[in-house]
Amino acid sequence: MLRGTRIFLFALAAVELAGLAIAQTPAAKTPDLTGVWTTYRAPAAQAGGRGGGGARGAQPELPLRPEARAKIQEYQKLVAGTGDTPGGYCLGTGMPGSMMGSGGYPMEIIQRPDQVTIIYEAHNEIRRVYFGGRIIPEGDRLSERNGYSTGRWEGNTLVVETTKLDEQVDQRYPHSDKARIVERYTLSEESGQKVLTAQMTMTDPAFYTAPVAETKKWSIVPNGFLMTYECNEPGWLHRLEELRTKSSQPTK
Amino acid sequence: MRTASAALAIVLIIFFGMPATAHHSAALQDFTKQVEMDGVVKSWHIMNPHGKLIIQVTDAKGSRAIELETHSRNNVYRAGYRDGMIKAGDKIKTYIAPNRDGSDGGYLVGFVTAAGVKVGLDAARR
Repeated sequence: MLRGTRIFLFALAAVELAGLAIAQTPAAKTPDLTGVWTTYRAPAAQAGGRGGGGARGAQPELPLRPEARAKIQEYQKLVAGTGDTPGGYCLGTGMPGSMMGSGGYPMEIIQRPDQVTIIYEAHNEIRRVYFGGRIIPEGDRLSERNGYSTGRWEGNTLVVETTKLDEQVDQRYPHSDKARIVERYTLSEESGQKVLTAQMTMTDPAFYTAPVAETKKWSIVPNGFLMTYECNEPGWLHRLEELRTKSSQPTK
Repeated sequence: MRTASAALAIVLIIFFGMPATAHHSAALQDFTKQVEMDGVVKSWHIMNPHGKLIIQVTDAKGSRAIELETHSRNNVYRAGYRDGMIKAGDKIKTYIAPNRDGSDGGYLVGFVTAAGVKVGLDAARR
């Protein structure tokens, strides 16, 4: 009897361990993107100190519809000669510019099974990529410049879909509020350095006659860190100056 | 204010980096040029999205305060700046992208502090 109980308990433990192993398998097999990343530069370019893979070459012309082009030109005409940009007013770039431009300032990825958090140092832009039960219904999502992102794993590739975007004509990749962006992230190793590659495809029938596709690469920054990007100090200092001026004026 | 020599300009580009800025339009300053300007610090604010340096400059045009905009706090730090390196009253050598309209001032792309510390601002970053 005692022997039978032992066998039963052993079998039960084995089954539980096997179950635990199965439950952990997806997470264990998932590539870990956690870390601080900067724009990829080929080793040869790094030796030279500057330039290389991080530099942007000539950009192909975007397949814009005439009505979208008119909106963009209206915006460009408005700010021409002013030096004004969204960033100059502490406004984040928004997708896909936030992702494509990141690396000049580093970005940090924090990965959990149910959420991947991407922090772009510039303007403290944060994207949260939700998985499974963390995803809220479409009707409960508010539109914003970085949209709403959901994720899933296809083998070793992290696929992120972003919708619910604000219309933006003030960035390198203008788009309407109907835009849908898919990023496919893969990890690799080049010359001993960990490299992250994202293939981005944006479809937006309201703005484009064809999908817009780009590839962005980053290198890991070992023991890297992000800095806080407080950006409203100039406005606050200006307000204090206004108050000082007002308080120094004689009362009537 | 005098134009940096071609050789110095090349050194500056290597040392300080190209001064293009993604969150700062190049509409107002000419980032293809770099000008050297010495002065005395009146005030220095290291902040985002852009820092601000005001220096008292004395040259053939006379003595006046000139305001220079510069990179973000984060990029100035990464270019080598640390707290206390610049104080009011310090002599400072600046390298700027001049204003396109020829007026005083411009965009600060590098500087040498009173203690001789060289700080270059990598403009490949925003």
